[in-house]
Amino acid sequence: MSTITKPVASGQPDTPGSEGRPPKYRRPLGIGRDTAVHYAVLLGLAVFVLAPIIPTLLQSIRSEPLYEEGGVFTLDGYKSLFTDAGFGQVVVNTALFAGLTTVLTLVIAIPMAVVVVRTQLPGGRFIAMAMQWPFFISSLILGFGWILMYGPAGFISTEVRNVFGGVPWNLYSIPGMAITEAVALAPIAYVFCANALRQSDASLESAAQVCGAGPLRILGQVIIPMLRPPMVYSSILVFSMSVETLSVPLLYGQPVGIDVFSTFLYRNGLQSVDPDYSVLGAASVVILCVTISLVAVQAKLLKDAQRFVSVRGKATRPRKLDLGWLKWVSIVAIAFYVIFGALIPIVGLMFRSFTLIFTPLRNPFDFVTMKNYQTVFRFESYVQSIWNSLIVAGVGSVVISILAVLAVMVARRSTFKYARVVEYLALIPQSVPGIIIGIGFFWAFAYAPFGLGQVLPGTLAALIIAFGLRALPSAFGSIAPSMMQIGTELDNAARVAGADWIMTFFRILRVLITPAFAGAMVLTFVIMLKEYSPAVFLSSADNNVLGTTMLELWAQGSTGSVAALATIQIAITATFVALAGLLTKGKRNA
Amino acid sequence: MPELTVTNLTKTFGDNAVLKGVSFTIKDGEFFTLLGPSGCGKSTTLNCIAGLEQPTGGSITVGSQAFVDTDKGVFLQPEERNLGMVFQSYALWPHMSVAKNLAMPLNIRKVPKDKQKTLISEALDKVGLADLGDRYPHQLSGGQQQRVALARALIYSPTMLLLDEPLSNLDAKLREQARAWLKRLQTDLGITTVFVTHDQDEALALSDRIAVMSGGNTLQVASPHEIYETPATPEVAAFVGRCNFFVGKVEQAVQNGYSVRIDCSGDVVEIHGDTALNPGQTVTLAIRPEKLEVLPAGSEPTGLNRLRTQVLTNSYVGSHYEYDVKLGNQVVQVESSRPGLTGQVCLVFKPEDALVYPELVELSDEQRDLLTVAP
Repeated sequence: MSTITKPVASGQPDTPGSEGRPPKYRRPLGIGRDTAVHYAVLLGLAVFVLAPIIPTLLQSIRSEPLYEEGGVFTLDGYKSLFTDAGFGQVVVNTALFAGLTTVLTLVIAIPMAVVVVRTQLPGGRFIAMAMQWPFFISSLILGFGWILMYGPAGFISTEVRNVFGGVPWNLYSIPGMAITEAVALAPIAYVFCANALRQSDASLESAAQVCGAGPLRILGQVIIPMLRPPMVYSSILVFSMSVETLSVPLLYGQPVGIDVFSTFLYRNGLQSVDPDYSVLGAASVVILCVTISLVAVQAKLLKDAQRFVSVRGKATRPRKLDLGWLKWVSIVAIAFYVIFGALIPIVGLMFRSFTLIFTPLRNPFDFVTMKNYQTVFRFESYVQSIWNSLIVAGVGSVVISILAVLAVMVARRSTFKYARVVEYLALIPQSVPGIIIGIGFFWAFAYAPFGLGQVLPGTLAALIIAFGLRALPSAFGSIAPSMMQIGTELDNAARVAGADWIMTFFRILRVLITPAFAGAMVLTFVIMLKEYSPAVFLSSADNNVLGTTMLELWAQGSTGSVAALATIQIAITATFVALAGLLTKGKRNA
Repeated sequence: MPELTVTNLTKTFGDNAVLKGVSFTIKDGEFFTLLGPSGCGKSTTLNCIAGLEQPTGGSITVGSQAFVDTDKGVFLQPEERNLGMVFQSYALWPHMSVAKNLAMPLNIRKVPKDKQKTLISEALDKVGLADLGDRYPHQLSGGQQQRVALARALIYSPTMLLLDEPLSNLDAKLREQARAWLKRLQTDLGITTVFVTHDQDEALALSDRIAVMSGGNTLQVASPHEIYETPATPEVAAFVGRCNFFVGKVEQAVQNGYSVRIDCSGDVVEIHGDTALNPGQTVTLAIRPEKLEVLPAGSEPTGLNRLRTQVLTNSYVGSHYEYDVKLGNQVVQVESSRPGLTGQVCLVFKPEDALVYPELVELSDEQRDLLTVAP
């Protein structure tokens, strides 16, 4: 093939150089390096994601623990699970807890979203920002705070008892668990509804207004009906999250014997002297089926819902409705939620870390001390758990963000045959409860090749793997939209100009997604710092993290030390997010 | 210099057939345009040539080299085809200066640094942006970005230049200048160029040959002159330029042609043409507005078809007048230099200016409503 006769060069006769020819890429065995990377990502993700799931499935039909010789395939695990293990009560409890949580979450979130986004509300922007608090604070810490305040011997309970002679609530019950969980999950439902409200076409409301509808009629007949898709979607999400949550049921339910899915696994796997692994496996599989089908329904609904999103045309700033006196009612309601739901328990917990005695009967300011912190820092294993958390979150956030970028590149920016499979693999862990990830990896390590099974258990690497799997869907979800905002023509231009897929990434996309990558790193860092539930099965004395140490101390009744560690965790998160914010801001200005 | 041959190209997305067997050959040095309404498959065809999309069937060869041959399982990746491409959005890499943008394809080809420098400055010279090498894309105007994109596509001496609606993001005035500039550059370089557009004026002005596409098929591949003067199908006539369509029945053969009775008014007109027709056959006549003329009622020109019509509207558009006249129940568009006619007029055309198609024209409901009036 001859090269073009007249290149851009003018005048002198052209000696054909390396321009005018396509670049050479080697293809050993007919497989280009692009394809090799695609398959590597697919395989790597498949191993990573399925590692905890497959052994769980296997264990559920084995009579003996996986790591022991012998044993036969049997369905006895399922049989005893459904006959004598008390699993029926667990199912009922879980359904009640998750159902009640979902209802309460919607009751809190929907009116708040409508009022904040669509009506004139003093401090609306502040409230919108304040709703991000659960991002920073784990539900374990929230649970501690609630017990300190509203528990049977809590600060506020005691106060109420002194004034009224009794306490009208009981935190250690399914409704008590549900209220706490709802307070923690309400912001998620709020964000969905608020986004839907912001995106919906404001002229629909203007049209109703022109027809003579008053604010309340507009709310009831135009705004609320438009919220149906996000309501359905977020309620399924909240339901599945409360099915898998461990913290609140563990703190509230365990002492009084209320078991839900997660605490059932916790109790049978950890606390019983001779755990029946086939029952444990069977229970895990049943729970997995529930959570995975919930997420599948949710994904299906979201796909359908997107078809109904109104065409986003010009960005019109909606005129916000004036609710009159009702707006003060809503302010009070929102303030009540924020102050009593989050602020008092968290601030109380932080305050608790600086006192010796915490009860309204004595003025806690008389006992202000740093002793709790001294205790924490005197024991090396506690200090170690702080470092462990930092290392796991630090290393994990980098590794998982890189993995997420790879997954997004293959899933969304390649012509790879199995691109969809890669995307599903990256999102599956969303539906796997943390405690099952822990159990699953615990069993998976028994199968790990190259003697890894002997090395990994009890190390930080094990925790990075398990926590990382939990954080992967979030990292994927935070990078994918940014990637989609980069026009594919930029890739195509590079491809046509002679870069293969890998070079296109390194020369073009790598730079353009750096901000998104930083964002994903912050997100995964915070998630992995808060995480602990997979660790309850994977930790040993050497690799405790903040969460497991707090649980241990809580069980010993060392409330002050728990409060101190919780405060440290909150402080680390806040510092990290603030630093990350400053850094990315600086970059943007440069 | 090789020819590009596209043979029986098909592409389906699920059940949706986007290309239904597209074939054409592009000669060396030719400016070849794929023209058609949006969704006709022209961009898909271009992307298949570039390698950005993998066709479901068919083959694309350049000279003796197969880019794609689905029968033999051949598919060259875009980076292995050595093509230059300019995208609708220009796709300049935003994090690189103009010079860096131009240098990237050279880096990939491992061109020595000093040669890169000369090539870049020559390329920028060629597109008239010699001083702008250090600028970033967002600091350039739309027209400048478009020229940088072109320089980037040409700098590594590609076998062929692919242009995906590169002018559509420019505003109207600039677009005409850019069009003339592009034509000159292409003629200077003599590089084979495939151009995709939905703008018929652009296609007519720039192309050596045009492939008119619709619904995943090529309707006609011919020179601009042929496309406009003798469109192969009514669809081509309707898409390239404006056209009036009359459905009628062949009455009888006359000298050089046939006489046809037009359905909408019952008039009999004479047409010339080679198409073999039978008396009684239903045909469609297509006449361009500029081939029609309106004369004051009562004038008696010779050698022309005369139809009695009534003026519905007349509008002045600067270079000429446009009349909508009523023929039976049909609205007919006429371009004329004659000002101010109203009421009864005489609509005339030469027998050789009417195109005859032995098929019915499918108008959309909306078009039919717009072109129909009470008789």
